[in-house]
Amino acid sequence: MNKLLLIAVCSAVTLLPRIIPYFASSFLMRLPRFVRKCMMLLPVASLGALIFPLALTDFGPQWYAGLVGVIAAFLTSLLKGPMILAIVIALVSTTLMLLI
Amino acid sequence: MADRKRDLLSGIHDGFPIFLGYFTTALAFGLLTRTSGFRFVEGVLVSMTSFAGSGQFLMMNLYNAGSLLLEIALSVFFINSRYIFMAASLAPRLKDPRSVPGRIMCGFGTTDEVFAVSSFKGQALTYSYMAGLIFTSYSGWVSGTALGYVAGTFLPSVVQKAAVITVYAMFASLLGSETGKHVKAIAVAAVSAALNSILILLMGVSTGVSFLISLIAATLFGAVIYTDKEAGIE
Repeated sequence: MNKLLLIAVCSAVTLLPRIIPYFASSFLMRLPRFVRKCMMLLPVASLGALIFPLALTDFGPQWYAGLVGVIAAFLTSLLKGPMILAIVIALVSTTLMLLI
Repeated sequence: MADRKRDLLSGIHDGFPIFLGYFTTALAFGLLTRTSGFRFVEGVLVSMTSFAGSGQFLMMNLYNAGSLLLEIALSVFFINSRYIFMAASLAPRLKDPRSVPGRIMCGFGTTDEVFAVSSFKGQALTYSYMAGLIFTSYSGWVSGTALGYVAGTFLPSVVQKAAVITVYAMFASLLGSETGKHVKAIAVAAVSAALNSILILLMGVSTGVSFLISLIAATLFGAVIYTDKEAGIE
């Protein structure tokens, strides 16, 4: 795959949804309530599929190392820890699991 | 003129926490572009031209999984479709809603964090303020990507292998704080996680298509179990 084409296409599908509404806001606010509600829930819905199963399969036979890292990051942020701390704790625990 | 300067500085001030968060997350992204076989210029170019956390990570994940360009484009568009509504809700709050370059700049910079910070500002948004906020955030995202790409070399191989987890840790961290706010978030994410795993591992569906199906199913499930207020619409 041509990487520059990939980068250009991803830029377009990222920036156009952000820029166009600034020129069409009255139309969007008239969309059905349920459609607007779905849009607000897309980020949460995406998180599960972004993590699983790739966080496990990326580590092959050591899939549990990925699982431990994911759980560690989740718990850190659930307990109100900042994102950077969650990432560091996940990195440390996954590294330890890989070394075992 | 003094007002403009004050607004610009206010935007830079409000953008600093976003700078820190973006910088550290972008370190992981820069490293990911390197391990995915991108050249330095290409990796930094992704961050310069997209300026989107989850969309860029999704793009790299699907690229690494060997997805087709169309699948990647559709998936990235779907994950970014929430911005349509964030942008639509920020647009009426601009102090001068007619400036074309101003609106393009705001559109370019409407990320989740910029949206959240400016939404809670509680006053008409000037372009000077938005410029300070957006370019402070943007500089953290681009410089973090560049440093992440370069610094990847100095990490031992086990850490490089473990660094793959930073991407998923970011998503798990977002899920953790969402679950802290609304416990229903974990149920919605569990639906997409389970469906995506079944489709990929058991049914051999391609990653991009599987992601779209899981995303839509979990979103509909969420729209049923969340109240309008919990979902953030009035």
